[in-house]
Amino acid sequence: MTPGRIATLAAVALLALEPLLAPYIKVDVTIVSAALLFAIAAMSANLLLGYTGLPPFGNAAFFGLGSYGCALSIKYLHVHFVGAILFGLLGALLGALLIGPFLVRRRGIYFGLLSIAFGQVFYFIAYRLTDVTGGEDGMSVSRPYLVFPSFTMKETAFYYLSLAVFVLSILAFKLIVQSPFGRTLVAIRQNELRVRYLGLDSNRFVFAAILISALFGGLSGAMSAMLYGFIAPITSLNWTQSGDFVLATILGGAGTIWGPLIGSIIYVIGRDIISTITPYWQIFLGALFVACVLGFPRGILGTILARFGSAPVANDPEDPARTQSPAIAVEHHG
Amino acid sequence: MEHVAPELFNGLVLGAFYAIVAIGLSLIMNLTGTINMAHGSFMTLAGYFAFALIARGTNFWFALLVAPLLAVLVAIIVERTMIRPLYGRDPVYSLLLTFGLSLIAEEVFHIVWGANTLPFAPPAALGGTVALGFMNFPTYRLFIVAVLLLVFGLLALFLYRTRFGLRLRAAVQDSEMIAALGTNTQVLYTINFGLGILLAGIAGVLAVGLLGLNPTTGNTLLMPAFVTVIIGGMGSLYGCLVGGVLIGLATSLMTLYVPAASEVVMYILMAIVLTIRPRGLFGEEGLFG
Amino acid sequence: MSNPLIDRRTFVKGAGLGAAAIVAGVPAFIPRLGEAADAIKIGVLEPYTGTYAYPGENETIGIQMAIDAWNKRGGVLGRPIEIIKEDEESKPDVAAQKARKLVNQDKCVALIGTVSSGSSLSVQKASADMGVLFFASGGHTDDVTGKNCTWNTFRTCHSTWMEAHATAYTLAKKFGKRFYFITPDYAFGHALQTAFDDVIKQIGGTTVGYDLTPLGTTDFSSYLTKVPAAKPDVVVVLVQGDDYTNCMKQADSFGLLKKFPFGGPQVELEPLYGLPAAARTGYWGIEWSYSSDLALGKGNKAAHQFVADYFAHYLNSQKKPPTARECFGYVSIDRMLAGMAAAKSTDSVKVARAIEGEKFQSIFADGGYYRREDHQLMWPMWVAEIRPNGTPQDPNDLLDVIAKHDPDTIEQSVAEKAKICKMAYPS
Repeated sequence: MTPGRIATLAAVALLALEPLLAPYIKVDVTIVSAALLFAIAAMSANLLLGYTGLPPFGNAAFFGLGSYGCALSIKYLHVHFVGAILFGLLGALLGALLIGPFLVRRRGIYFGLLSIAFGQVFYFIAYRLTDVTGGEDGMSVSRPYLVFPSFTMKETAFYYLSLAVFVLSILAFKLIVQSPFGRTLVAIRQNELRVRYLGLDSNRFVFAAILISALFGGLSGAMSAMLYGFIAPITSLNWTQSGDFVLATILGGAGTIWGPLIGSIIYVIGRDIISTITPYWQIFLGALFVACVLGFPRGILGTILARFGSAPVANDPEDPARTQSPAIAVEHHG
Repeated sequence: MEHVAPELFNGLVLGAFYAIVAIGLSLIMNLTGTINMAHGSFMTLAGYFAFALIARGTNFWFALLVAPLLAVLVAIIVERTMIRPLYGRDPVYSLLLTFGLSLIAEEVFHIVWGANTLPFAPPAALGGTVALGFMNFPTYRLFIVAVLLLVFGLLALFLYRTRFGLRLRAAVQDSEMIAALGTNTQVLYTINFGLGILLAGIAGVLAVGLLGLNPTTGNTLLMPAFVTVIIGGMGSLYGCLVGGVLIGLATSLMTLYVPAASEVVMYILMAIVLTIRPRGLFGEEGLFG
Repeated sequence: MSNPLIDRRTFVKGAGLGAAAIVAGVPAFIPRLGEAADAIKIGVLEPYTGTYAYPGENETIGIQMAIDAWNKRGGVLGRPIEIIKEDEESKPDVAAQKARKLVNQDKCVALIGTVSSGSSLSVQKASADMGVLFFASGGHTDDVTGKNCTWNTFRTCHSTWMEAHATAYTLAKKFGKRFYFITPDYAFGHALQTAFDDVIKQIGGTTVGYDLTPLGTTDFSSYLTKVPAAKPDVVVVLVQGDDYTNCMKQADSFGLLKKFPFGGPQVELEPLYGLPAAARTGYWGIEWSYSSDLALGKGNKAAHQFVADYFAHYLNSQKKPPTARECFGYVSIDRMLAGMAAAKSTDSVKVARAIEGEKFQSIFADGGYYRREDHQLMWPMWVAEIRPNGTPQDPNDLLDVIAKHDPDTIEQSVAEKAKICKMAYPS
């Protein structure tokens, strides 16, 4: 039992006890569920940003496709919980397969802008298909039963479900980034040309990263749809939602495993608390963006890790090993 | 078919407006790689300044000249304190920071001027329409085209005929070299940012004659500005013009044939350009890799 | 470099947890000012940021006025009433989450609010899931009292069906039967269009032009250029809020306002004040007016008292008179509390049963009642001609009310609604 494992178990225990603590700390389970699911979407952004070095400003598309895949399958196919999740994942995956081949040919800010463009197209489509998706009015999502028809989930039960899904997600994330595949992604971020010279097809890895990122995003979207019971294009698919995921990632620490969770807790719960106190909460949110970028661009976790002199965090802006991806050279190789 | 001519003309004029909105953004992005998500906020700020100036008894022309300058003052402070530390870093950071600034700006506008839309009319001299034969066209929109041409002309003159413009263009090509040759690049960057915001401010004052003035006005114009810059190519004046006109025409013509797609067509064009030729129609290669 | 006493990763996780704990712990230390232990808490969900912030703030003023009025009379069931406000940002997921927070954490016994249709539907669902009373004060979509109707939700403002029917007949009678429509291409616009088409069929009118303006349209020039060629008798503008401001401003710049009559099913003072005087014109459906006896009811003491109270307390700070939004907020709370008093309880089922079907007098003419079958407030709707500069005494008084329509003539009948709305109380 390493100290790291103890801390992890302590974190999980604290989260597990939240429903009991809720009346005392005045943070109810719904918002913590929301934070946990948000963290999964932040992980999806983290994979691209922190590890592969690509700005994921279109990830709301995967989140939204997950939400709508889940919602539509519940409404029209009357699936139960597992089915709803699977359809959410399927929706996100299909989206990634559709736009991935275009995205994979670009790096840097062009990647980000192209993903925004695609995301906006999905947004307009969802908006336009009023008969199917409810358009601007959105659509309601009934919580399907878990295994048995009588077992529909109220808030606390859904919270534990979200916690379980989160734990599984972060375990999966850890496995992915600590595998040779994950290490290759980091290598691509640091110097893609070198990776290609070593004989690896970097585009294949990037494409796989996009697909995996889409799965995480879709999972988060599907679960969130069932949490809120209602989805609409403005929150599921709009590019500003992607910006929120990226911020949470950077706030917590891009390129770290636990960073997205920390960033998501601060962002989601902090925003909820401040918006109750003042209608001018957007000033604090904006100030958080500014402070984070100027003050600790490595994020909370990243800054702490760096101070303790551990290996350079994946997307460290001051990392000397980090160079801009020479996309021109990549282009010539097709 | 007689519908097409008015729509084409409309599209051209709309494109001119987008071009003015986009040119400032392009300048800022081109020199320092800063993605200014607060561009719309600066436009709105200039609009509010113009409103305040007119409320104090000045006229529209005075406001059109002075309000952008006031916005530039704010911009300089912002640049020196918050944008400058981000030069040389991944553009993601400037995007997030300026996005945060746009949130703060929206709330500040709300606190100072209220959430309601403020009535803002172009001056009477620019009201009314001009009979063009195939349609009656608002004088104000023609005025916008005139301002665009003037602004572009002056900008081209500045960039290509003055020594300062020369330095600016040189800095785009190679900042290190021009610094080594003795130019204070920090001052250059600040002036470039200020110039970009000046253009945004002019666009902003013109915009509130067409649209309502409220804290969220700038948000709607931000994305079309980006799309124009991407399509036309960063840093290219000509590209902004062409990009804007392209979007304007596409939007207008779509309203004739497939109205449902008229607002999304610019994103489709953007995706096409980014896929085939990411630097844009007239852009310089290599700035963003 | 690394501290041998504490493994860095442990420290990292500890620090992370510590930060999370602090964030989680902060709310416990935020004092809720003036919280009385036995107060009845009502949750207010309005947009306080974004494009609908202005109507959201105005609804809240109406809500506060009603709360103050009741508290002055000793509250309800001997207990004072308190509101807890949450910003739902016109985002349905935020609205749903805040609704749950207000009920589960803050122990609100009822909810009120929303302006945008998406948020109204979202809160309707969340509140129905929780079995809590919800007054949709400002969301107009038909579905709230249509296919989404639920026992716990009451809707105060008029439905889109009512709006269209109130104005269509007046416009046709005044100007003729050739209509040109500028319609927003989303659910609200489609619903208005469907309702208008219903009237056009009845009166034998024609739609000479029809534009669906997609989301995000700020420039209406492409649509406005088509209008003259179609030679309509009246141009019907269905877009709302900022879109309305932009469309009218641009219509003015094209010289269309002088050439063609403009009208539509809904206009509010909020966007009107944002227009320059030259663009303030036309005949529009309105949901209330502070200055007209036709709207307030001749000799209606409560109505005049309401307006007077507003003038006394809010006119200076708000710099504008009360709008329909204040009316929605006020009437909703007033009836909610009256329902609690009648039911002698805050239990949502009992209160709902006490409210539905009850006729009442309020701050508008003729009185009204929340229909038992769909919980839509049945109250009159008015048509007004715009006075660009108000009256000499009151430059803010832009609405010259010219007609009043009875609710039964403009809303779908109970029989028709029964096909769409199936309401069931919990057993």
